[in-house]
Amino acid sequence: MSYAETIDQAIANCKQQTVLMQRCLTQEKLMDALKHTSIMLTELRNPHLSPKQYYELYILIYDSLSILSTYFVECHTKRHHLADLYELVQYAGNIVPRLYLMITVGSSYLQSADAPREEIFKDMIEMCKGVQNPIRGLFLRYYLSQRTKQFFQADDVEAKKANANFIITNFIEMNKLWVRLQHQGPLREREQRTRERKELKILIGANVVRLSQIVESDFTMYKEEILPQILEQVVQCRDVVSQEYLLDVICQVFPDEFHLGTLAELLATSLKLNPTVPINKVVLTLVERLNGFIDRQENSDSDDLAQKLAAFSIAGENQNLFFVFWKFLNQLSDERPDLSLQELAPVIQGVLKLTLRWYPQNISNVDVLLKFMYEKCQEYGKSIPEEYDYLFNDLLLPQEFKSEPAFFCKILTKCESYEKLLSAQNISLQKHCTNEILDTLTQAEWQISSKLELEKLLSLCGALIEPGVDKPSSPLMLEEEDGLDSDNWSLTPDQEKLAKLTHLCYNKSIDEHSELLLTCRNWYQKSGRNVRYLFPAIICNLWKLIRRCQWKIKRKPERREKLNNTTKQLFKHVSRTINDLYSACGGGCFDLLYKLNLQTAALADQSELGDIAYDFFSQAFTIFEESLSDSRTQFQAIVSMAQTLQKTRNLHVESYYDTLITRCTLHGSKLLKKQDQCRAVYTCSHLWWATEISLLGEEEGVTESFYREGKRVLECLQRSLRVADSIMDNIQSCELMVEILNRCCYYFIHGDENSTHVGVKYINGLIELIKTNLDALKLEISSVSEEHRGSNSDEDRTLIGIDGCYIHQSTLNSVAAVYSKPPSSKTANLESVPIEHFQRTLRYIQDQKDVDSRFKAIVLL
Amino acid sequence: MSLFFKSPIDIEILLDGEESRKHVEIANSSNNPTARTLKDRYPVYEDGESVSGIVTLRVKEGKKLEHLGVKVSLIGSVDITKSTSEGKKRPVETFLTLSADLCPHGELVHSQNFPFNFKDVEKRYEAYRGKNVDVTYYVKVTVFRKSTDIVKHKRFWCLLYHPDPTPPTVANPSDERKPVKLDIGIENCLHIEFEYSKSQFSLKDVIVGRIYFLLTRLKVKHMELSVITRETCGMEPVQLLDSTSIRYEIMDGSPVKGETIPIRLFLGGYDLTPSSTFNFFNIKNYLSLVIIDEDGRRYFKQSEITLYRKRN
Repeated sequence: MSYAETIDQAIANCKQQTVLMQRCLTQEKLMDALKHTSIMLTELRNPHLSPKQYYELYILIYDSLSILSTYFVECHTKRHHLADLYELVQYAGNIVPRLYLMITVGSSYLQSADAPREEIFKDMIEMCKGVQNPIRGLFLRYYLSQRTKQFFQADDVEAKKANANFIITNFIEMNKLWVRLQHQGPLREREQRTRERKELKILIGANVVRLSQIVESDFTMYKEEILPQILEQVVQCRDVVSQEYLLDVICQVFPDEFHLGTLAELLATSLKLNPTVPINKVVLTLVERLNGFIDRQENSDSDDLAQKLAAFSIAGENQNLFFVFWKFLNQLSDERPDLSLQELAPVIQGVLKLTLRWYPQNISNVDVLLKFMYEKCQEYGKSIPEEYDYLFNDLLLPQEFKSEPAFFCKILTKCESYEKLLSAQNISLQKHCTNEILDTLTQAEWQISSKLELEKLLSLCGALIEPGVDKPSSPLMLEEEDGLDSDNWSLTPDQEKLAKLTHLCYNKSIDEHSELLLTCRNWYQKSGRNVRYLFPAIICNLWKLIRRCQWKIKRKPERREKLNNTTKQLFKHVSRTINDLYSACGGGCFDLLYKLNLQTAALADQSELGDIAYDFFSQAFTIFEESLSDSRTQFQAIVSMAQTLQKTRNLHVESYYDTLITRCTLHGSKLLKKQDQCRAVYTCSHLWWATEISLLGEEEGVTESFYREGKRVLECLQRSLRVADSIMDNIQSCELMVEILNRCCYYFIHGDENSTHVGVKYINGLIELIKTNLDALKLEISSVSEEHRGSNSDEDRTLIGIDGCYIHQSTLNSVAAVYSKPPSSKTANLESVPIEHFQRTLRYIQDQKDVDSRFKAIVLL
Repeated sequence: MSLFFKSPIDIEILLDGEESRKHVEIANSSNNPTARTLKDRYPVYEDGESVSGIVTLRVKEGKKLEHLGVKVSLIGSVDITKSTSEGKKRPVETFLTLSADLCPHGELVHSQNFPFNFKDVEKRYEAYRGKNVDVTYYVKVTVFRKSTDIVKHKRFWCLLYHPDPTPPTVANPSDERKPVKLDIGIENCLHIEFEYSKSQFSLKDVIVGRIYFLLTRLKVKHMELSVITRETCGMEPVQLLDSTSIRYEIMDGSPVKGETIPIRLFLGGYDLTPSSTFNFFNIKNYLSLVIIDEDGRRYFKQSEITLYRKRN
């Protein structure tokens, strides 16, 4: 008998023979039926089928053999005796069909009560040895296990053992065949073989599954009988695919409780594996199972599980779970020095996961693990290549850490090895990790309250704090560079995160809190020029502290003395920090320094510490005088200064205020550009005209102590008007005059004519002046061609901002562009700006006439 | 001859209880291909069994036959083809001749029955039909005449059962239990050890054994066990004839070192010839282990086994 050439033919043949066999069975021609079956089974001898095709065929044949088997059982002793049939089928000349028939008959026979069970089992499994071809053998044995699985429900221990032995024997043989499959055929087809083997693995795995069904919950049997045998086979076969797969199956198939009890054995086995088997996979699977066990334990009824555990007497070892793994790790490193970091790291990560799940609060475990890894890194010697980064990343920042910031923080601060390990990594990874750490902490809004903790964290952040190596070493170069990128405030998220760290510091005691901040400052100092990103945060926090002091003083006046001292101390810290910032990055951030000084001064003033406020103001002035050179910045600086000063209330001792505002106005009048001068001066006019700050309980009309000197106000206005008048550009000049007119209106409304000296006469004069000037401007316009103007008028508009900038509003979109220089092409358009502004102002005055009778005296036309 | 001269008398030999007796079916040895598939049925006798029956002489109606006497004889003989070219087997030795006169000379006018009985006939050999050699038993009735004698043969078959439990040719019964062990190999290529439970088997026996692979570098495709029956006859030149009675695949695929392959072969279902020796020929059985490698080369090892017939 021979087999068909193609799989299709083979399938067709099988189907045909099945039909014939069934027909013979209905006619009760058993011999003929057997003959057809055996023709069909011959197809299974075909050596040219791929495992997939063979499987297809196998399924088909399995089904038709089931029909035959049913017939055997039904007609047993009526028409034949299965014992006879068992002998009869032995006469088949070819071994593969013979064994399939034999198993079919044998398994049918087993269903009858009087069958000699043991003998049949023994015979079947013994005879299967005749098929040594891997694929055919595997399927045959799989057939054996499929056919016999229904007979494995045994109640007594002995029978159970026998069944287990049967399956194990079959399993061992199958595994051998499976391994052998690798070595079949030519060498160049090895990869294909491996692929085919992976397709077939389920056949072998099925045995282990069956074992797990048999063993049920009999742990002793599992531990003493089954597992050692399986593991021995796993070790002995020395085959990568097999070992990897089988260990995985063992881990998956048997209950977690068993793994708990046999952890040591499993781990010991994984040491003996073929060196190319990835150990980490095994460990990870195990860990997953064990963690899953805990999860389930938490979900299900705890009593039930406690009982179970007690039943397995594993509870005692339970406590040593980590210890078992730890021992394993040590052994691993002893026995397998060849293990690369790449393989070792996931193992450690796995164990880490385990300990986090089982002993959530145990930091020493984590420490030990990280230390182990650190030592490994040390042994590795040369710098660790970047492609390993992800390993350490996973190790340093596991998900479990991130989800529990409290614990994470504990690890960060208490666990020395964490820092060591982190510092052993390359800079970019360190940075990345630190970033993550900071993110986690910030998101969790973790409060850092002890100095120790903070220092630890800061030392972890070393990578971020340390300035980059690319910094040139020559101090001369440095200077130059400072000058160059003084405006280079590129966004650096790293620094931002570091700065956020300062915001996490909190302590109830103000002293300690300030100490925390100072610690931060000391650490940040190392980061060189980057302090410009970091110090503002510290200063800001110091401000907050000062506010807190103030608030406390209010609540507990009896402690005022002490708190006042503290406040002063805090101001000193601020001052020191600002100085440090100055000396660290000088040129880069004068503007910032200036503003910080101003802000601090304002705060000091609000804290009723005039001396200190003065000091900060004078600092600000120093910076203004020495370092702010850009004319626009200067103008802005004057405006800010004026704003701040106008709101101060506690500078009147020793005529600080007078000195300061005079100086401010003086600087304003000395600005380079005339329009800046003009604007600065009229802005400074407000310095002699304090207004109410309702927060301090002041009220216009009620409070008498406002600092007001109308004469000086008028002087300022006069001066600015003079400057405006002297500007050559008519448009600018007019615009400024209109602005001054607006100021005048302000003083007119808010002040008595007697005190401000800004009266109807003055305003009328001003309006007259503007009118004259505007007429002159209109003359200029008429000289420009009408058409040109008309064509431009509805397109774009250009306005002049309050600080003299040009706002260009396009009709095309709603976004306005701001320029510091007049747009050259649109000059023609600019003329309308002061005119329209003037019109608006006049309309306002007109409107005011209804409200305020004083306005009626103003002549508009 | 019978075409021209129709025999004047019908001789019928009817053995006692022939219908109820056990029969064997033996393949026709004739060279004619159509006839080969046909089978001859013969009644079976055992050693020491009496052969009795009735001879009926039927004379044609209205005729009579004068004869010089009627004799019945029981004959056992060995027939051998002298050479391969010669198709017909000729008797070389008649090892058994028993005769009895049935009636004296006279005249037969009507049909007549003559009972005969050979008591407790010793039959030394099994009946056998081989390619070159036959061992035949028959009852021969001869009607002597002045002209040609009229002869009628009636063949029967003879099976020899060896008395239990001792099989033949074995003096010491313990020898039978002794397993046969063989250690064979091809240097650096194959080394196997095989073992059969014994060397003597009854025809309904099971050959049980195992093959242990100590070294295997061959790519084995499969392995077979076969039983070869060898018929040796003639003095010079010896005519040898091997016929494979059983071919039985016992292994599929290539085993690795240390593998043990079980052997179990039920002999009962096959038509086998017991081993026997005779003056002119002998029949021997060999158990042959054949390994076929992937290139189709065959490696084999034969070892003699004794087969004997045993009463169930």
